[in-house]
Amino acid sequence: MNELYKTLHAEGLLSDESFEKVTAEHELPLFHVHWEIKTILYLGVLVLTGGLGLLIYENIDTIGHQFVLMLIAAISIGCFVYCFRIKLPFSAEKVKSPNTAFDYVLLLACTSFVIFIGYLQFEYKVFGLNYGLATLIPMLVLFFVAYWFDHLGILNMAIANMAIWMGVSVTPKQLLLNSDFDSETIIYTYLLLGILLIAAAYATQHFKFKKHFKFSYQHYGVHVTFIALLAGYFHYYDSMLCAVWMLILFLFAFLIYQDAFKNKSFYFLLLVILYSYIAVSGLVVRALIRGLESGGISLLLMYFIGSGIGLIFLLINLNKKLKTA
Amino acid sequence: MIAYNRTWLANLRLQEILKNDLSKGRISDVEFKGITEKYPVGFFTPSIFARVGLFIVTCVVVAFADGLISLMGSGAIESTGFPIFLGLLTYGVLELMVNFNKHYRSGVDDALLFICMCQFLAAFFMMFSGFNGNANYTPFAGLAFVLSFALALRFADMLTGAACCISFFAFVYFYWTMAIPSGMATVPFALMLASAGAYWFTYSYRASFINYENCLIVGQIICLVTLYAAGNYYIIQSLSDELHGQTNSSIPFGAFFWVWTIGIPFVYVGFGIKKKDAILLRVGLLLIIAAALTFRNYYHILPLDVTLTVVGAILLGIAYSVMRYLKTPKHGFTYAEPGEENIMDNLKVESLLVAESFSTPASAPTDNGTKFGGGDFGGGGSSDSF
Repeated sequence: MNELYKTLHAEGLLSDESFEKVTAEHELPLFHVHWEIKTILYLGVLVLTGGLGLLIYENIDTIGHQFVLMLIAAISIGCFVYCFRIKLPFSAEKVKSPNTAFDYVLLLACTSFVIFIGYLQFEYKVFGLNYGLATLIPMLVLFFVAYWFDHLGILNMAIANMAIWMGVSVTPKQLLLNSDFDSETIIYTYLLLGILLIAAAYATQHFKFKKHFKFSYQHYGVHVTFIALLAGYFHYYDSMLCAVWMLILFLFAFLIYQDAFKNKSFYFLLLVILYSYIAVSGLVVRALIRGLESGGISLLLMYFIGSGIGLIFLLINLNKKLKTA
Repeated sequence: MIAYNRTWLANLRLQEILKNDLSKGRISDVEFKGITEKYPVGFFTPSIFARVGLFIVTCVVVAFADGLISLMGSGAIESTGFPIFLGLLTYGVLELMVNFNKHYRSGVDDALLFICMCQFLAAFFMMFSGFNGNANYTPFAGLAFVLSFALALRFADMLTGAACCISFFAFVYFYWTMAIPSGMATVPFALMLASAGAYWFTYSYRASFINYENCLIVGQIICLVTLYAAGNYYIIQSLSDELHGQTNSSIPFGAFFWVWTIGIPFVYVGFGIKKKDAILLRVGLLLIIAAALTFRNYYHILPLDVTLTVVGAILLGIAYSVMRYLKTPKHGFTYAEPGEENIMDNLKVESLLVAESFSTPASAPTDNGTKFGGGDFGGGGSSDSF
């Protein structure tokens, strides 16, 4: 390692000052155990809460619901008080957390709060049959906490809760495994949710209010909207309405494409390209299957090969463009 | 040997080191620019998302191209030669992409390499798994080892490196149990020797095969895990059950295997701390979990809920005290963030993880229908039975 720097120094590519800095650094290399400790911390919280939950569950007869509720409330309140005490002042920009434990304590506070509300509803039916309210309150609290303490994880929880409040789900596992896209209401709900999230993403950027939250909104928004639009297209496959869905999809793709370009985000660019490709391929498959009887399959295969190669060049070009832009 | 331009590989390593120095402010922008101009890298290596996209699209293209070929030569599909033919085609394209278009970890070459390996493996599997009953895994594992070793040597890819190690240990296992009379009883020791030897090789020669750094790192991980698994009590017991055709058969040297099961992870962690080797340390930490699970599988000292609570508290205590201890760096260890640019931060993976693991159990009853209509919502994380 030091040989390398010596050569660079001798070639005049490193100034004396920089050379001294790098050699000093590499003489005493530090071994970082940051990720190990963080993982242990995360595991510890997960295992401890799981164990406590199980412990209470097994002994609910002797403990009694009131005590359990009080315990959960005490944990939640205690954690919130701690966080309020040490938090840095609020700002519309990104606020650093005062220490590493802060994020986890806040997470514990929020989780126990949500459990508290759920418990209350499950055991005592506090909100009666008004399920909307039972999910609305945690959602509002989570959003507030996310903004007030500047915590991305809580924001994600809030977004997931918002979906639950609307009756759907956004976390990948639920979205893929349990969702049933064969009903109009669900498709429209997803569409509404997606548009709301995209609007929120736009607003955070436009009003320069917690700009670093944009990614989370946009991440969920883009996926949900595209999936809803594709689902809509296939739901109305046999009627003329499907053209409208397609049109909206391409319009949406165009908007996100421009935004991704402006923000130099290849992730969203990639999402736009892949989802649009699915849509275009849907149209092509439709045309080829209707038009041709026997030769259709070969043509279809050739379409996928050709378009795929085209896509490869497109991605390579876009990558270059983003790098130089 | 290696398919990529060696000077560029060396320059790439240099640039990686200097990028780190640059982000820490140890060298200036001008210096960095000067050095990258003097030591250029001509590979096509896109950003990570472009790489993922290119990987997916390349897989689509190859899948449909293979489909088209099989459609044209539909008579030959049944034979073993067909996947080999496809594999050779893929390999040809891969060589072209690497040699002429200078792809290096671009997604395209990753996908082609992966598919090529799968096609050859499928062919070997067709040859030896015996659709007519006599499976013979020894030559399969042997051929898989030769193939992945050759591919790893040529493309220095992590995945081929991993496949190479795994197939090597599989070969040792199958060969030993087949060729040695009391093979089943002695195979754990054979595997221990093989993996310890392989680890020694990958560890001590990691500096001399610098272009294969990635492969050797994966190799070390797999060797360490195999070394542990070869003596794990649960695995030995399962093997012995299979051999004797009964459950919970007593195994000879039981005490030795218990010591191995519990002790080895801590030995790894100890050496990891002593040698400041992240691989040993992390593998050791993970294997402690395996040791704990194995132990619990046989001895239930405490009920599950108490165990979880106690373990969680201990974990938090350990994390807290280490953080406390390392507030100022001691003995060359620090708790500070490494500060190298990390893809995990880029994607905000942690926040997504939180949403995934904390939001499901916390969900309230499903909206049973008034607000947004529709009774049978799939989402919400809970069912109608509420």
